Amino acid sequence: MELWRYARQRLFQIGITFFVILTILFILFRIAPGDPVSRMIGPEMTTEDAAHLISQLGLDRPLWVQYVYYVKNFFSGNFGHSFHYGRPVIEVIGDRLPNTMLLFTTSVMISALLGVFLGKIAAWRKGEKTDTVMTLLALVTHTVFLPWMALILIWIFGYRLGWFPINGMISEEVWLDPSSGFWAKSVDVVHHMVLPLLTLSLIYFGSYLLIMRSAMLETLKEDYILTARAKGLTEKVIRNKHAAPNAALPVVTSVGLSLAFSINGGALTETVFSWPGIGRELVFSVSNNDYPLAQAAFLLISAVVLVSNLVVDILYAYLDPRIRY
Amino acid sequence: MALLEVEDLSIGYHTDQGILHAVEGISFTVNRGRSLGLVGESGCGKTTLGMAILRLLPQNGMVLKGRIRFEGRNLLELDAEAMRRIRWKEIAMIFQAAMNALNPVHRVADQVAEAILTHEPETPREVVRSRVEALFDQVGIPRSRMWDYPHQYSGGMKQRAIIAMALALNPKFMIADEPTTALDVIVQDQILKEAKRIQETFDIGMIYISHDIAVVAEVCHDIGVLYGGHLVEYGDRESVLDTPLHPYTRMLLASFLTVNGKAAKAPQAQGDSPDLVHPEPGCRFCERCRYAEAACRLEPVKYVAVSPTHRVLCSRCA
Amino acid sequence: MPSRKKKILGERSRRWHRMERWAQGWAIYKKNFLGRIGLVLLSIFVLMALASFIPPLVDPMYRPMSGVDPEITASVGPNFRHWLGTDFMGRDLFSQLLAGARVAFMVGISSAFVSIVLGTLIGMTAGYMGGWTDTLLMRVADMIMVMPTLLVVLILAALFGQLNIWSIVLIIALFRWPGVSRVIRAQTLTLKERPFIDAARVAGASHLRIIFRHIMPNVLPLSFLYMTFRVTAAINIEAALAFLGFGDPGTVSWGMMLQWVWKTGYMFKAPYWLLPPGICISLITLSFYLLGRAMDEVLDPRLRKEGERY
Repeated sequence: MELWRYARQRLFQIGITFFVILTILFILFRIAPGDPVSRMIGPEMTTEDAAHLISQLGLDRPLWVQYVYYVKNFFSGNFGHSFHYGRPVIEVIGDRLPNTMLLFTTSVMISALLGVFLGKIAAWRKGEKTDTVMTLLALVTHTVFLPWMALILIWIFGYRLGWFPINGMISEEVWLDPSSGFWAKSVDVVHHMVLPLLTLSLIYFGSYLLIMRSAMLETLKEDYILTARAKGLTEKVIRNKHAAPNAALPVVTSVGLSLAFSINGGALTETVFSWPGIGRELVFSVSNNDYPLAQAAFLLISAVVLVSNLVVDILYAYLDPRIRY
Repeated sequence: MALLEVEDLSIGYHTDQGILHAVEGISFTVNRGRSLGLVGESGCGKTTLGMAILRLLPQNGMVLKGRIRFEGRNLLELDAEAMRRIRWKEIAMIFQAAMNALNPVHRVADQVAEAILTHEPETPREVVRSRVEALFDQVGIPRSRMWDYPHQYSGGMKQRAIIAMALALNPKFMIADEPTTALDVIVQDQILKEAKRIQETFDIGMIYISHDIAVVAEVCHDIGVLYGGHLVEYGDRESVLDTPLHPYTRMLLASFLTVNGKAAKAPQAQGDSPDLVHPEPGCRFCERCRYAEAACRLEPVKYVAVSPTHRVLCSRCA
Repeated sequence: MPSRKKKILGERSRRWHRMERWAQGWAIYKKNFLGRIGLVLLSIFVLMALASFIPPLVDPMYRPMSGVDPEITASVGPNFRHWLGTDFMGRDLFSQLLAGARVAFMVGISSAFVSIVLGTLIGMTAGYMGGWTDTLLMRVADMIMVMPTLLVVLILAALFGQLNIWSIVLIIALFRWPGVSRVIRAQTLTLKERPFIDAARVAGASHLRIIFRHIMPNVLPLSFLYMTFRVTAAINIEAALAFLGFGDPGTVSWGMMLQWVWKTGYMFKAPYWLLPPGICISLITLSFYLLGRAMDEVLDPRLRKEGERY
């Protein structure tokens, strides 16, 4: 199917982009002030371990050989040893990645769906109070400073009202208790996820709402809407079946364009809420000068953004037949 | 009984400067199996007329006066639901610039089927499918292309698909608004012949809107000439073409090539189009009329019937 | 006849024409209610930034970074001497807030300015040259656009140590130009086809001259429009960096203030400290955004309120 060909093409493109990023990072690590070796070898390591790691990462070889090792190591999952955790980096990020994916994908989906749904309504009730309220709300929420919003939410709902936990992803009591079943554990995670999810969704749904609203207003002027009306279709059908699918397309594009922002926001949210994800790990590793972890975290986040872009592009191609055929 | 009767219709649009009187005091009749061609330059109100019949005027448009009777019932008095049921089933419309008249995210056949299913929702799927296929056959689109998306069609094919869609419910009346403007001449010719054939085969009453009198002359039984929102001349084809009375009609007829290929002498068009927000009480063609006198501007114009089937909006032209 | 006037007066009449367009634009802008609010908010912030020089002159204890009230050892709420209270070290919060406004404008505007200079140059070049140059530049733009700016700055901070405010400004600018360049490129492509470009070429103008003399004046309004969005991005990214602790330690910005209230544990206890910086960052973003949207309406006639339709 045409879709596969398009997907393959895009996959190839992001592959190249990723390689470029990989290479640039390699160069940066080498040209930065300081000894590149000390970047990968932690101060607490024994001399044997250090020597072993040096040969594994090829740090004693010429530059281009190092590069080859670098790429090879990347694809075999060998990112070195984390200074801070004293464990292989791959283990650390392996632990963190699912948490980030959970929060990130859920928040993107919620904000996109919410934005589309409310934007459609706002366009339909253009000029009325509902529209004004929603537009203003969207304007205000999407200009609020994310970490501050997070702090406010924690203060009100966590500290003052005590409805939600202030930080973390899990409550140890629940997870360490051998009698808690899957259900109890899931509820616990969800309970912890509410505030971070709320933060992210509130901040990002606004721009999708505004885009959907203006896209709907534009679409409603199109000739095929006039045709639909002339055909005797009800307003509801026209709105939902003819206008909305077309208006949603710019929103999908917008989601793709703002993925970088969403990841920024995700990292900030994770840090404020102490949600154990890769974004937070990146921030911590930079503070702790844990270079191997920082490098790996950054690469992984780049990969996440690129793959998300791919997913969004494919989704767009699926929704817009003009791309597929 | 006449199929469609428009009586003394006036339509206006709200604008920042005031009400724009797009159509004023227009009356005409179309019977079953007959077609009326409405001709005029852009801005003369012909599209407004077409849209008003199906009550598809935009938000800032409104009917100021008059009646539109379809099979005796005044369409302007129907409630929204009743009007919705009439749309497409009784009266169908083909719009200007069909390039965008089909929704890009739905397949063409689905959109045609939608017309059927909206008004006859109990129709079983196979019946719908065979009806759609028959329609496509009728307009000459191969069945293999039925399930394509609109952007895969050529301009001519899109237009034919639109016609197929318009015929889906066997309407009694059809309004075609400049259906061939965006197409090249050869395709235009095909579509025109197609339209004529369909009209005759199905005994449909039709209004054909165009700025090109040549096109209308070929296809229509009656001709109505519009200028500045007024119906300045109205009559059966032969009368109007053989003996055009209004100076504007004569201008239109003179401005295209004769059979020999030589352009007939076209009288100079001077002056601007009429101001429809603050219209003159008299004839709106005065600015460009060679024979205009002071009285033409000030006195309201009345129809003069030259024959039972031919009238003109000018006291001096008869 | 207007055309005769132009020929006779030449340059003077062109300036008049331009002023007329400005006046027209202003009339349209004024109609936009939200745009007016944006302008009002922005003026308040400008006043704040300008006023930031005053408190230290009144008394050294009002210096935002180093001024300490000798009688205070912990954070206190608003009182007569300190209108917003003090932070945990006894520094006046109000003067910090004012200084933050100054920093925000500095960071926002310089970063945005560099962004649009880069973006405009690259966009014009790509659009005008076409071919390989175009493809290459746009691919680079795509790659940069995909990167999360904040995290890039973080990683650079890791490698190059603590960044000072100007490095931050520069890096943000380097990562935010792709958005502008796309739009400018599209505009250049349309302009390229216009007859006056052909005329210039026939008259022997070099490519450089065509780009700067003919294309640039026509794309500049668009550049400035997009500058407003770049300003908000720059302010937010700097604030986020400061918030995380990676900002310039010698600069008092609103993000820095939030970092202090968070990290010193006063978050739940000192709303007078927590609320003002966050509100300021959010409002300045809002005001620039409203400004941008209103300007959009001025520049793009399709977005204006429709009163008439035929």
